[in-house]
Amino acid sequence: MTGGLLASELGLLFRRRRTWAMLCALAAIPILIAVAVRVSSAVPAGRGPAFLDRITQNGLFVGVTAMVVSVPLFLPLTVGVVAGDTIAGEAGQGTLRYLLVAPAGRIRLLLVKYGGAAVFVVVAPLVVALAGAGIGAALFPVGPVTLLSGDRIGTGEALARLLLIAAYLALSLLGLSAIGLFISTLTDVPVGAMAATVVLSVVSQVLDALPQLDWLHPWLFSHYWLDFGDLLRQPVSWESFAANAVLQGGYVAVFGALAYGRFITKDVLS
Amino acid sequence: MTRKWLRWLPAAAVPAVIAAGALTGSLPASAGDPLPPKTPQQVLELVARHGEPALSGTLEQSSNLGLPELPKTGAGTDASSAAWLELLTGPHTARVYRDGPENARIQVMDRLAERDATRHGNDVWLYNSKDNTAAHARIPADGAGHPGATDATATPDQLAAALLAKIDSSTAVTVGTDVRVAGRAAYNLVLTPKSDATLVASIAVAVDGQTGLPLGVEVKARGQADPAFRVAYTSLTLGAPDASVFNFSPPPGATVKEMTVPAHKQGQDSRHTAPQSKGSAHKPAVTGTGWDSVIEFPAGTAGPASNAAALLQQATVPVQGGRLLSTALVNVLVLDDGRVFAGSVPPERLQTAAAKK
Repeated sequence: MTGGLLASELGLLFRRRRTWAMLCALAAIPILIAVAVRVSSAVPAGRGPAFLDRITQNGLFVGVTAMVVSVPLFLPLTVGVVAGDTIAGEAGQGTLRYLLVAPAGRIRLLLVKYGGAAVFVVVAPLVVALAGAGIGAALFPVGPVTLLSGDRIGTGEALARLLLIAAYLALSLLGLSAIGLFISTLTDVPVGAMAATVVLSVVSQVLDALPQLDWLHPWLFSHYWLDFGDLLRQPVSWESFAANAVLQGGYVAVFGALAYGRFITKDVLS
Repeated sequence: MTRKWLRWLPAAAVPAVIAAGALTGSLPASAGDPLPPKTPQQVLELVARHGEPALSGTLEQSSNLGLPELPKTGAGTDASSAAWLELLTGPHTARVYRDGPENARIQVMDRLAERDATRHGNDVWLYNSKDNTAAHARIPADGAGHPGATDATATPDQLAAALLAKIDSSTAVTVGTDVRVAGRAAYNLVLTPKSDATLVASIAVAVDGQTGLPLGVEVKARGQADPAFRVAYTSLTLGAPDASVFNFSPPPGATVKEMTVPAHKQGQDSRHTAPQSKGSAHKPAVTGTGWDSVIEFPAGTAGPASNAAALLQQATVPVQGGRLLSTALVNVLVLDDGRVFAGSVPPERLQTAAAKK
């Protein structure tokens, strides 16, 4: 029952033109980077976003660079749109009432909506990584990859690390999508929920950059977003992965409970 | 209405559970002196005996020296010359691997970057992933004396006694309550300066109760609650790490600089030899004793040509007769005539020392 509901939710989500537009925009980031590096002269080491100077030597770095670039804004933006739309979108269209008439129940609807957002959260970084690896392989040589530690690994393992980074980013964005789900239960205006979610992600990153607030930093959901570099060390450092998982789990629990409290007690009029 | 309140119960309970968990986690675990009591001399003997076991661990360092900290805005990069200086500001995490005196590796883990120092046999490699540069040095075979070689004549207890006798006049050495570092019970050796004039309030060294390995150092400054400098293991595994960790060869495309190590016979570690190459022509003069000492470097020691000069200009404040670099632990007075006075004392004492000459 829930599975069927989730399947229909996913069908709805991935049949939307908006979803495809966002995924295409994400895929365009690595393509733009790769083409720009290809047509311009060599990038001096240590300039621009991390790993940009490695692209000409190894195309797989296009994926990594694109993920570095898209973490602060583009990924939270798309996730905010999807998560902010979950409940508010149905309410805004006036379809929420009909969904609740069915014996689905509010809890199940909430779970299914979050499940749909979570699937998008997995797909979005994967699109960036795979589009990056693809365009990188097409335009640049591909070979053993130099890690941050200076060690080298083979192409197969490098691809595995790339997928691991995508998984890390998916995990990183789960907290934000839970926040989006909660905000989405507060309003009937989907655009407002989307904007609020995206703004929160920016605010969190700004706070994370202020050294005066370092007591707050471990509690910010964006704190570990850029620490996926730990997966590019030799040996892999799993500490940030674990800390990030705990943090995101906390955010999912808190904002899931808040969304539950709000959605269960909400008067659904539209 | 009561039913409505019940629905909000999870939303109130989950943060409460998390807050409770965070609070209990942050409370200092009451170690309760699990180790047999030892005198300072016995703890020092334990340190002298530890014999550098093979290990892999994670070190965490934080400094609170009052130096300006650069915000870590993720994807950005900075000039490489300041990269190693930057170690003095802000927190850092590093992984340490060691296997015997000739195999060691330190990985300073920056965000999306890493600085590596590897020693394998007589080869020492430095690598910075940010600008993809590597530096290589070969330690002269005869200079690579084992660290224990010079100590071979003295037994650990003699060493401990000699060290204690040396610092006894200026420093009170005590063993505080046991601490837990990296999940291990450790003796807490506390050095407290007897002088009131120094900026250092105390230095605490955590000594592993089992192996005698120093697990952490904490330096406190006067009038500052947080430690001014702290470095400690957060995790530690005894036993030889994977041998591949020590095999370093520069990645293709990296800029490799060859460094020559001066062949004087005291370096077991290249990092310690670097600062001493200068200044043999003009020796610094020391006034005062113990913790109150003020070191005077004659004019011309601080090379104005170095990249650090601009950085120094930013970090210092103008005072009468020169510029002052003030940190929680050390004050450095750079006079207009080029002389430099440094010491772990208040700036007034540096100025008095400067005026005497």
